[in-house]
Amino acid sequence: MDDILTLRLKVEDLLFLEADLLDRWMLKEWLALFTEDAWYHVPPSDVDGDTADPDKSLFYIVDDSMRLRERVNRLMKIGAHSEHPRSKVRHLVSNVRVERDGDVIRARSSFVVYRSKDITSDAFIGHYIHEIVERDGKMMIAGKKAVLDMEALRPHGRISIIL
Amino acid sequence: MERTVSGIIDDPVANRFLVPRRNFTDRAVFEREYAAIFDRCWLYLGHASELPEPGSFVTRTVARRPVLFTRDKEGEFRALLNACPHRGALVCRERKGKSRAFMCMYHGWTFGSDGHLMTLPGSSGYPEGFKTDPQKQMVHVPRMERFGDFFFINFSRDGEDLATYLAGAGDYLKLVAEHSPSGMQVVGGTQEYSIRGNWKLLSENSFDGYHAACNHSTYLEYLKSTKGALGVDPLVGVEHTLGNGHAVVEYTAPWGRPIANWIPAWGEEGKVEIDKVYAELVTRLGAERADRLARKSRNMVIFPNLVVNDIMAVTVRTFFPTAPDYMEINAWALAPVEESEWLRKYRLYNFTEFLGPGGFATPDDVEAIEKCQQGYAVGGEAVYNDISKGMNRSDTPSFDDEEQMRAFWREWDRRISAVEA
Repeated sequence: MDDILTLRLKVEDLLFLEADLLDRWMLKEWLALFTEDAWYHVPPSDVDGDTADPDKSLFYIVDDSMRLRERVNRLMKIGAHSEHPRSKVRHLVSNVRVERDGDVIRARSSFVVYRSKDITSDAFIGHYIHEIVERDGKMMIAGKKAVLDMEALRPHGRISIIL
Repeated sequence: MERTVSGIIDDPVANRFLVPRRNFTDRAVFEREYAAIFDRCWLYLGHASELPEPGSFVTRTVARRPVLFTRDKEGEFRALLNACPHRGALVCRERKGKSRAFMCMYHGWTFGSDGHLMTLPGSSGYPEGFKTDPQKQMVHVPRMERFGDFFFINFSRDGEDLATYLAGAGDYLKLVAEHSPSGMQVVGGTQEYSIRGNWKLLSENSFDGYHAACNHSTYLEYLKSTKGALGVDPLVGVEHTLGNGHAVVEYTAPWGRPIANWIPAWGEEGKVEIDKVYAELVTRLGAERADRLARKSRNMVIFPNLVVNDIMAVTVRTFFPTAPDYMEINAWALAPVEESEWLRKYRLYNFTEFLGPGGFATPDDVEAIEKCQQGYAVGGEAVYNDISKGMNRSDTPSFDDEEQMRAFWREWDRRISAVEA
């Protein structure tokens, strides 16, 4: 099999595992897929999400590794009212494309994430850009950007789950 | 004392302030709000920095109406109702940009950035003078005024001017402008979200000092547990009513402020940056105002729906209902034009830590507002919200009392009562 196809299957396996852990609220295990210095970004709808710089534009989420850990810690607490009781979450990931850029594997994929709770079910639609590196023979996520393809975050009101 | 229209009970002698919950759910109240409030009050449109040069434009929905905010070729700011005088189609369909003219895509009528009809295709089918007929030009919003770099519009031709309307809130807007010697700008990127709740719940929530300890416990714990994130100042302060329904809470808080309250997490490089900013404030504004500007946080609501919160970052937020139980919110970040790259990065990092749909606090505000709206369905005996906290005090109201909300509700009641149903 071509090298790039094998690579895509490996990356897909990682992304599907990631989605499964998020859907099952196994957030500590999810965090363990990330490198120590990983980042997680969600840009807003009125900038070019692929190229916008979070140090220069206002985003929805700009987490460095410290804040990503704190995001998980917070979501595990009962005081994170938006997610207690927890919503039901379903991540669908498809159209995965991969390319090597030196030591980094860049993966681009499409997503639909559903968040369902009491009165409503909301769909977040967009594309992911994952930066993946190999550490000790294992693939790890060094960075993840969820670019929303929606005109605004409506009628959602919040990104209280992890996209 | 019971009011006739809204049913608000405002009784200072008995320390009672009660707001009937039907004011959050009733369709007739909602329509009356548009007639009595949104079609008559000064409403925030945008900031001068969003239109940097002649031809710049943004489109925006204000009180359900599509508005085109432009600068014409002379550089004058204009607010046009974004509908073609011919058949009413939206003329400009872009969110923002720069253009000398706007062409309606239906029949090609083309308008200058001041709204005048420039090109009329097939003009031989129209009589002489048709093209310059005032009715064939894009319609200007009845009134637009600026306060510093903040632009407001009013859909009513009558009523007080903007400065009179803003009353005491004007000085607080000025205080935000004073963050910078060279001007404030809207940082690129807008947070555009919504809440399934009544819009007045967000006006209340935006300067509610009482809810922080419970609703935002996880944010306060995050500040405490994160190395260096906690400053030395306690969460304590006062509230001021500013006239015409506007009010502010002003307080010290344990979070870092880019202008200009250092926290250990920002390191020695950050201390040098913050000290420099603080020194410039003292030189320009004097020690007392500089200290207040730098160390105090402020949450202000300009009636009915403009929030200017100068807290761990500066946010300008406005929101409009499309139904009694649904509102659309737009929020921007303001920052000094001359700010260093380091400071801008920390400002935005600070902003997203607390504020907005992905922050560590706002999602729980959204949850609280939506749960209130759902709770109102109980009806029956539980018909009132209690807004009385602090009425029993004889001294200055605390930042976590509810005097600021009573100011909002008294103005809301006055305006609702002044218009025929």
